[in-house]
Amino acid sequence: MTYVVALDIGGTFTDLAAYDSGAGYAIFTKSPTNYSNFVEGMLDCLRKANVRPNEIEFVNHGTTLVINSLIQRRGATSALITTKGFRDVLEIARGNRPDPFDLHYTRDVPLIPRHMRFEIAERISSDGSPLTNPDRAEIEVLAKRLTLEGVESIAIFFMNSYINPNHEKLVAEMLRALLPGVYVTTSTELTLEWYEYERVSTVAANAFVGPQVNTYVKQLEGDLLTQGFSGSLFMMGSNGGLLSVDRTCRQPIALVESGPIGGCIGAGAYAEALGLKNIIAFDMGGTTAKCALLENGHFSIEGTYYVGGYLKGVPIRSPVIDIVEVGSGGGSIAWLDPQHRLHVGPESAGSSPGPACYGRGGAQATVTDANVVLGRINPERFLGGELALDTQAATDVMDALSGRLGFEGPNAVVQMADGILAISTVIMGGAIKQVSLQHGFDPRDFALFCYGGGGPLHGSALARELSIPTVVIPPEPGNFSAVGMLLADARIDSAEVFAGTLCSDIVSAINNTFLRLEADAAGSLQKEFGATEIFFERVAEMRYVGQRHNIRLSLSNARDDIDIRGLFTKDYKRRYGHADPGAEIEFQMAHLSAFARRPRPNLSHMPRAQTGTVQPTSREVYFDAAMGAIPTPVYQRVALPRGFEACGPAVIEEYGSTTIVWPGDRFEIGQLFEICIHLKAETT
Amino acid sequence: MNAFETTSNAKSIDAISLEVIRHSLISITNQIDANIKRTAFSPYIYEYNDFAVGFTDPDGQLVAQCTGGMPPFVADSVGMAVRDGLQIYGREKLHHGDVILCNHAAVQGQHLNNTVMYTPVYAGLHRSLLVGFFAINVHWIDIGGSVPHSKDIFMEGLQLRSIKLWSKGEPIEEVYRIIENNTRLPKELLGDIAAQLAGCIFGCDLIRQLADRYGVPVFFKAVEIVLDQSEAAARSVIRSMPDGVYHAETFLDNDRSSENLMPIRVKVIVAGDELTVDYSDMADQVEGPINSGYFGGGQTTARVAFKYLLGANESANEGTFRPLKLVLPAGKVLSADPTAPMGNYSTPFPTVIDTVIKALEKALPDRVPGGHFATHSGIRFHGRRSDGSYFDSHDSGHGGWGACSTHDGSGPYRTMAHGDTRIIPLELQEVSLPIRIVEFCLREDSGGAGKFRGGLGFRKKYLMLGACTLQTNLDRTKFPPWGVHGGKEGLPGRFLLERVGEEPRDISKQKGMKLQAGDIVCVETGGGGGYGPPAERALKHIQADLDAGYVSLRLVCNDYPVSFNGNGILQPIN
Repeated sequence: MTYVVALDIGGTFTDLAAYDSGAGYAIFTKSPTNYSNFVEGMLDCLRKANVRPNEIEFVNHGTTLVINSLIQRRGATSALITTKGFRDVLEIARGNRPDPFDLHYTRDVPLIPRHMRFEIAERISSDGSPLTNPDRAEIEVLAKRLTLEGVESIAIFFMNSYINPNHEKLVAEMLRALLPGVYVTTSTELTLEWYEYERVSTVAANAFVGPQVNTYVKQLEGDLLTQGFSGSLFMMGSNGGLLSVDRTCRQPIALVESGPIGGCIGAGAYAEALGLKNIIAFDMGGTTAKCALLENGHFSIEGTYYVGGYLKGVPIRSPVIDIVEVGSGGGSIAWLDPQHRLHVGPESAGSSPGPACYGRGGAQATVTDANVVLGRINPERFLGGELALDTQAATDVMDALSGRLGFEGPNAVVQMADGILAISTVIMGGAIKQVSLQHGFDPRDFALFCYGGGGPLHGSALARELSIPTVVIPPEPGNFSAVGMLLADARIDSAEVFAGTLCSDIVSAINNTFLRLEADAAGSLQKEFGATEIFFERVAEMRYVGQRHNIRLSLSNARDDIDIRGLFTKDYKRRYGHADPGAEIEFQMAHLSAFARRPRPNLSHMPRAQTGTVQPTSREVYFDAAMGAIPTPVYQRVALPRGFEACGPAVIEEYGSTTIVWPGDRFEIGQLFEICIHLKAETT
Repeated sequence: MNAFETTSNAKSIDAISLEVIRHSLISITNQIDANIKRTAFSPYIYEYNDFAVGFTDPDGQLVAQCTGGMPPFVADSVGMAVRDGLQIYGREKLHHGDVILCNHAAVQGQHLNNTVMYTPVYAGLHRSLLVGFFAINVHWIDIGGSVPHSKDIFMEGLQLRSIKLWSKGEPIEEVYRIIENNTRLPKELLGDIAAQLAGCIFGCDLIRQLADRYGVPVFFKAVEIVLDQSEAAARSVIRSMPDGVYHAETFLDNDRSSENLMPIRVKVIVAGDELTVDYSDMADQVEGPINSGYFGGGQTTARVAFKYLLGANESANEGTFRPLKLVLPAGKVLSADPTAPMGNYSTPFPTVIDTVIKALEKALPDRVPGGHFATHSGIRFHGRRSDGSYFDSHDSGHGGWGACSTHDGSGPYRTMAHGDTRIIPLELQEVSLPIRIVEFCLREDSGGAGKFRGGLGFRKKYLMLGACTLQTNLDRTKFPPWGVHGGKEGLPGRFLLERVGEEPRDISKQKGMKLQAGDIVCVETGGGGGYGPPAERALKHIQADLDAGYVSLRLVCNDYPVSFNGNGILQPIN
């Protein structure tokens, strides 16, 4: 037996998916995350799944370790070394206050404090020529100082190094030799894009998490080996691809969104298999909802990620799938402000005390309580019946809130619950608009692909809000992040500043740049994954001359400057509604993504073995004020065969999630056992 | 419910519809905000956020607006334009498909670049009911004129007073031609106008859909309640302040046409749940182009200050500002005649806003921080590169903010009249200009001492690689950012020229100084004022300041009652 294993260590649970590639079936297990010993948590999951480490071919691992370390500021004792005169770039940032009316606004504190930021005499000019070379004697003195300070990790950033990284390389080599055992990282190993603040912030973050990630990954690998594992360990990168252990150790910040990315990969793989070119991936959990847009088979990638959010967070230059997140999940609390205005979230009851219906002392009404009150969640079968829900407690908190808002009469409680869901729908709809309309896409051209515990529960209401005609729910929506990690490809992203006005000569120049980046990436993929078949995607950041914001344009299908101009004009017009076909266009950056396919489980083997009866039971479910609560068939998903079709209203229950089908809508079980809901025409 | 009822008002609305409409209104303006940012041509819009998106009711009262944008635009920059159009045309002549422009000094009272575009929103059966106006204010990149040397508004460019750009869904070519031929940058401007227009039309559609979904009467009722609740929230904040008459004053270095100090004098009266900002003793209208009109200057600064005091969470609309009264006689620098020069109208704003806030130091001890550096700190280099090509670079300083009751001052940030406005990266500057930046660091000792220390300014040194011309405009050098509740003042900013073989000299107000290769221009921005007596500062915070080098040993010994014992450990002097 050989298994492919995906391991997703999240804040609350460690999820494991194991795919038996011989027999062709998947097993899913869950155990509470063991903070003192992550490896033990993983082994626990393996034991539950009855998988022995020596049967595992490879492990794809996603973790929230990096983002947690950055947000909680629990990283290594780090030092920053900069060009003389520039140690404060890290702290001065860009001078903006994203929250304009906060009189007491402060940005999150820099990852490396001022007394740990050191300057050396060194300078590269803006054209890349060296003006002052680093002095060995100065570095030697500095190394002694760093030892005295107990430094575990060093970030090196020099001005203009994006165009000439030699000084950074040289100083890094000297320090690695002088200070063995200390983690040393340079800005240009991580990004060759310009803008000093973003670059220095990136390398500071990498140094901050470097030692911890190295220890963790090597220990995990070692422990697996001890247990008899002889396969390979790969890490999930924020760009949606797998990273080798070596690369992870050099670029730990590439794991910054390692956790949530799994769902996106899964959504992309299912979309491809189902022939869906355009989907909105929607993931709703306990505290937040996240969405991302897959357009023509590709997720859009953001080049800059803000740790803890744009409002106060520090930027990292690392390719991350563009995921928009809003504070709206099952645990989101409904509350009234002093003017008695109703708000939902972003505060969440979390898992402890959790929603009132958990019966753990939660005294505030949450989205989950609203779902219980409306009959949408079965209180006896929540998490497969592992957690019995207290309907009375949910009703009580809803009743208390509705009284304060002035609702009266027998329907007050359901009206209140319905209202909470309506507001959360508007909030989540806003996030989806942000990833679609604001990029020039119409959500009606997309299918809504829902997962996470709450996605299937809220998907149809959201689709109505956005006039989206189709909702798709994959198998295992509650374990979907781990499913996605099973399906990940290897991927390396690289980028360089490439400036020049579009003409035929400049196209051959950028093609040469791409060829060089491709050769580098192919070499790495071959070395790290033994990959032979490698795909590339060339993307350029371009703009009209005189503009300051760039658009990313795929050049993979462009042969010459005329093609590129045509593609640019088309894309610009789609995004912005207008374009100037005659205006000069310039390149700013060249981005290359290189992919190597990994052995991938067969998606039709992913669902659980069918069992039980198709025949539904029935319960009362409230849909809207006009209908009130109506008798609704309740199906068990695991019993529904491929090709099964029925009309709403319906509830489809499974472990970890519940799907709601609205009256008048139609659903069927598709080829891959996905649930596909077609909304009735007049609602869209 | 029948979506097409034609009665003008509903008697009641359920709490949920109300909340969904409230959230949707803000979400629509934010959505258009993001669209404009992405579609605009000029960096004023997508880098500086120099625009605002709003929705007004049929009378031009601001109902909702985007949450980002520049603070001065949040104070109803769109409503005044809509109200002028209503006065000129009347509702009956504002049709579906009309798009109207206004940048007039007598209406907005700001520089003529700020141009509001709006379109009426009709909903209900046959689109027969006017539900409001969707409006967008955008800083037009160039509208002619000769700022900063203007003597009156007529030298500053084209004025458009409530002019239709589109009529009943058709563009008016003549108006486009007028605009195109009165700007130095027709292509960029027409690009921005296209983005502004698309935003207006899209926003109009979204509002109409919202109104039709709930029915116009319910929509109106929701709007009424949204405004009333914002008003109630604002009044409850004012009620928490002790009644009284509060004063504050400071001075700008000059009025841009003489060397006379320019007084910024403010009186704030808190009475019950009303707050009055009284600008009666403010400087009179001046000859330099830093005037603004009653709405664009006086009302705007008062509202921005008020909004700062209310806090960030309350989104601003006309209801928010109902309890705010303004006393402002005509002929002041903030209520200038419409013919006065206004090209740099916002120059006094950071100081005016900060002074209104300062007036409430005693009334709101927990909210009012020390003063911030409060000047645009403008610095402009222009000339020719060695290859003969022309360059013109506007840069500005950002400085320290005041300390508050809970923590040290923050920054360096842009002024209180800026928001999410990012500085230009140094690496980009070095590529595009014959200039090398040789130092960019925090300015030690610039924050005012106190229980909580003021935020630091910065030091930035520009090395000239060739000859060029310099213009500078640094203010508040004579009256630095104040401390509050016993905190000390911050250091004012200063600009110095370091030329080989010469003593450094002050260059904070240069109108066209010739620089040569090798010159270093050193920009030091002001720090924020402190909060509370320095004697109350915790020793560990003083030590941390020393360790980080935010404050020098000399200044620590000077400002704080501390000494060092034999082991070099900081201790209080009793």
